[in-house]
Amino acid sequence: MRIACPFCGPRENGEFSYLGDAKPKRPAPDAGQDAFYDYVYLRDNVAGEMEELWYHGGGCRSWLKVRRNTVTHEIFSVEPVAGAGAQKVAS
Amino acid sequence: MVELSVELSWAETTPLSRIYAAGRQGAKEHDAGLTMAEQTGFELVQVMARRGQWSATDQACKEAYGASAPAKPHAVVAQGALLVWSGPDQFLVLSPRGDGLERARLAFAGMASLSEQSDGRSLLRISGARSRDLLAKVCSLDLHPAVFPQWAAAATSIDHTSVNLWRSTDRDGEAVFHLLVFATFAESLWHTLLDSGAEYGVAIDAPGAWQA
Repeated sequence: MRIACPFCGPRENGEFSYLGDAKPKRPAPDAGQDAFYDYVYLRDNVAGEMEELWYHGGGCRSWLKVRRNTVTHEIFSVEPVAGAGAQKVAS
Repeated sequence: MVELSVELSWAETTPLSRIYAAGRQGAKEHDAGLTMAEQTGFELVQVMARRGQWSATDQACKEAYGASAPAKPHAVVAQGALLVWSGPDQFLVLSPRGDGLERARLAFAGMASLSEQSDGRSLLRISGARSRDLLAKVCSLDLHPAVFPQWAAAATSIDHTSVNLWRSTDRDGEAVFHLLVFATFAESLWHTLLDSGAEYGVAIDAPGAWQA
């Protein structure tokens, strides 16, 4: 599998580290224990398209959001998620 | 009261000096297919523009070094320094040992964070007709001249080790590649590169001062 880094170009997946689902958002501090339990521990086990966070640690050290089919490994989009790089691509 | 007198002296060393052996390595029945050397005597500063400060950093770079800061993966020959792209809104300033850090500090004060890396990295040079064949075994990038011309650069991994790789000016019509690697990984990478190049015959130059 290759991931097309928006800064470096297509790279082998060995240059990237996988974090996981890009969807979970930290609940508000007063959201309650169930919301935090869900945020910390519960994950969907998607067979199909999902958005994931990957880190290009073996290259430009950018965090990327990758929309990928977990069954076929087809990749639909790759975009930076944080920092100066993301602002650059968005503008 | 006893006065202790201790004489201190040390020889300058490099990350590879423990294992470095200039001369021929690998196949010897034909001329060496490539040349490898450790490059010394450089000063290296990582420049990271602060959020929203890239334009200012670029402008300061033009004023201090006479060239735009690299905004995409390539290396820029500037006044007294080589500017090597290392990621979004960040680059490396490589210069002969001297006032490199002070120069960068004055140029980018208030707009970028600097990290002095002169002794944190080892700089290797690989050149010659078979240098691409060597690198093809360990590097997943396409280094064909059509896609990796002179002064192209990349942040990538070789043998699970992060490196900054760039191609400088050809020598005798053959490509010259430079590899910047974390100092403590240099020995391991050097062995891997030597093993990969052995079949072509490797001429190892004495360590020499880096020049752009």
